[in-house]
Amino acid sequence: MSSDREKIRVLLAQFPLESHSRGAFTVANMLRDSGMEVVYIGNSLPEQIVSSAVQENVDVVGISTLCGGELALGEKVMKLALEKGIKDSAVFVMGGIFPPEDEPKLKEMGFEALFTPGATREDIANTINDCIGKKRGAKV
Amino acid sequence: MGDKSTKEILESVLDEERKEGNSLYNPKALEVIQQSFEKWKNTVVSEKDRENWEMTPHTIIGSNIPRGLIYTPLDIADLDYEVDLGYSEGEPYTRGIHSNMYRGQTWTQRQLSGAGSPEYVNNRIKFLLDHGATGTNLALDLATVQMFDSDEPEADGMVATVGVPIDCVQDFESIYKDIPIDKVSSSIVTHYPRNTSIIFPMYLVMAEKRGYGWDKLPGSVQNDFIMENVVRSACEWIPPKDDFRVQCDNIEFLRNEVPKWNYVTLNGYNLREEGTSGVTEMAVALANGIAIMDDMLRRGYDPDWTAKRMAFFWAPANDFFEEVARIRAARRLWYRIMKYKYQAKDPRSCWMRCHVQTSGISLQRVEPFVNIVRAAYHALAAILGGAQSLHVDGYDEAYSVPGEESSLLGLRTQQLINAETQVTQVVDPLGGSFYVEALTDDIERRILDEIDEVEKLGGLPEAVAKGWLHHKVISYLLEEERMIEDGRIKVVARNYFRDPNVKEPPVVTQPYDSKIRDQMVDKLKKWRKERDNDKVKGCLEDIVRAGKEGKNITYYTVEAARAGATEGEMRRAFTESFGTWRPPVYA
Repeated sequence: MSSDREKIRVLLAQFPLESHSRGAFTVANMLRDSGMEVVYIGNSLPEQIVSSAVQENVDVVGISTLCGGELALGEKVMKLALEKGIKDSAVFVMGGIFPPEDEPKLKEMGFEALFTPGATREDIANTINDCIGKKRGAKV
Repeated sequence: MGDKSTKEILESVLDEERKEGNSLYNPKALEVIQQSFEKWKNTVVSEKDRENWEMTPHTIIGSNIPRGLIYTPLDIADLDYEVDLGYSEGEPYTRGIHSNMYRGQTWTQRQLSGAGSPEYVNNRIKFLLDHGATGTNLALDLATVQMFDSDEPEADGMVATVGVPIDCVQDFESIYKDIPIDKVSSSIVTHYPRNTSIIFPMYLVMAEKRGYGWDKLPGSVQNDFIMENVVRSACEWIPPKDDFRVQCDNIEFLRNEVPKWNYVTLNGYNLREEGTSGVTEMAVALANGIAIMDDMLRRGYDPDWTAKRMAFFWAPANDFFEEVARIRAARRLWYRIMKYKYQAKDPRSCWMRCHVQTSGISLQRVEPFVNIVRAAYHALAAILGGAQSLHVDGYDEAYSVPGEESSLLGLRTQQLINAETQVTQVVDPLGGSFYVEALTDDIERRILDEIDEVEKLGGLPEAVAKGWLHHKVISYLLEEERMIEDGRIKVVARNYFRDPNVKEPPVVTQPYDSKIRDQMVDKLKKWRKERDNDKVKGCLEDIVRAGKEGKNITYYTVEAARAGATEGEMRRAFTESFGTWRPPVYA
């Protein structure tokens, strides 16, 4: 993705049937306060998440999940991301409620950062910045 | 009634009632207390404490109501015992709806029955009943909540994750197999009007196939349009005014056909958990109650007939006395609304009966065992407030749906409050506390003020359509987040005495079993093959037509359920009939 623009662009989404939005709203506002640009697309199929990420030319794809589906749908998102050629350019992160034993599996799939309840504004913004820095080979 | 607002009606009646001058304290006593109080305040209390006399506690989903340093008769100088308190099972029901409260009957100990296949949940229900649960509480999986069939693409990865999947009548047959549904009351957590209208008829068809008359069935559904239009995130919505109408269609249908069923559980709980104060939680639920009463009056039903089976659902959280006072305040206010706005004659119509679930959003991921203590305080507040039914959250709330161990611990917490603490021996034990009575008055006033705000916006469906509530929620939750960040809200182990070396303890969670979806899809395939598909198609067309023509839509979903229509098929019929709506988004 474009590395010379000033603002980090983040796509925020939930899986299609996720019924909770509090986490997504809170994080969207936190990221905006930290100077990032947020495109919130709400409940979406994995196909829609990836195609929106391509279309919006985002640096980060964030998925908020509280009610399960993180493994099955997370895998689908990463598979599609690989197909569309954004797996290596964009940073994929997930936040919400998932069992601890799923965390290594999600990391292995390619979700570089995972945020659980209680994650602070600094945690989230710094982690995203670091991930982008690593991806671009230079600190943002 | 005329054009007077609820607030105007209540204020004029109460002014009239108070004219008698029957306040608890005589003016002379108050004068003496006033003098001694001033003297004490100015000589014993430090200057710093005098300056900071009122402080405002900040808590997760708290109401930010200022509190004084000490409460005296001066804070409740107007309290009229007969008008404001009375006796349990007596007007204005502040002290409870049953004369002997928990001595007569303990509250219903209703734990959610967990997640998994219909057959697994059937076993889980039996497990909880065997361990002393006195009602069942069925959580639905997200595909079912959002009205999708297990085989729709959106349901991928979501079947049986946080509840049980239901696609059609056969799933209810599996879930309630061998459960005496005429004796054990079933709470079916159909959050929305639309899924109540779709799912509940499947339960009724199951019951009639097993030979139970509908008039024998006890239980409750949720059926709250605030849940569908404000609280939930989703891929599609129908307009709030249509959803409100479906809510009332369900009420009319259930009241006529399933008379022992609680047709609506006005759900403050989930709204508050999404992000509102305890005051807004109750104001919105009561405003919905008012909107329902008005709509049923328009349909020609007597308020006493309508109100009999109305129930409420609250979220007791951290601010202990606020929670006790809130339940008492809502009980008194609902009574006043029913009595003075709707001239209810039957005492039962004036009862604010409530189920409570301890607050989930107040529970933390860090050091999860601390949550056991938090939930016990939440539960105790609910019981001291006089709740009818209780679910205690699992300590693993921030990890996954409750496992068997944490679910049992929730039930044990209830049993401990009931059998060991002895708080159940005396009715309304905090009644008469200067503090609790002053707080009860304050909260009642605040709830009524917010109801007034809603009425000035044109009533609840209109206020929701305008985005008033969405806006309120988002500003509340962002401010709350800031208060946690800057430490104004203290959360033990998270931002207050946080252990820098804290490690996550082993929490047993249920792994997702993708085979359940495959099984559901196979069952569904067989079901669709064996039913009369022309008949189903006709029934679905009838639903679309009933919606457009303003007929009670739930009579048509019952026919569709009998013919074997699935949940997703009926959802699409609703959407076709009413069209879609998008709520304002503040993310």
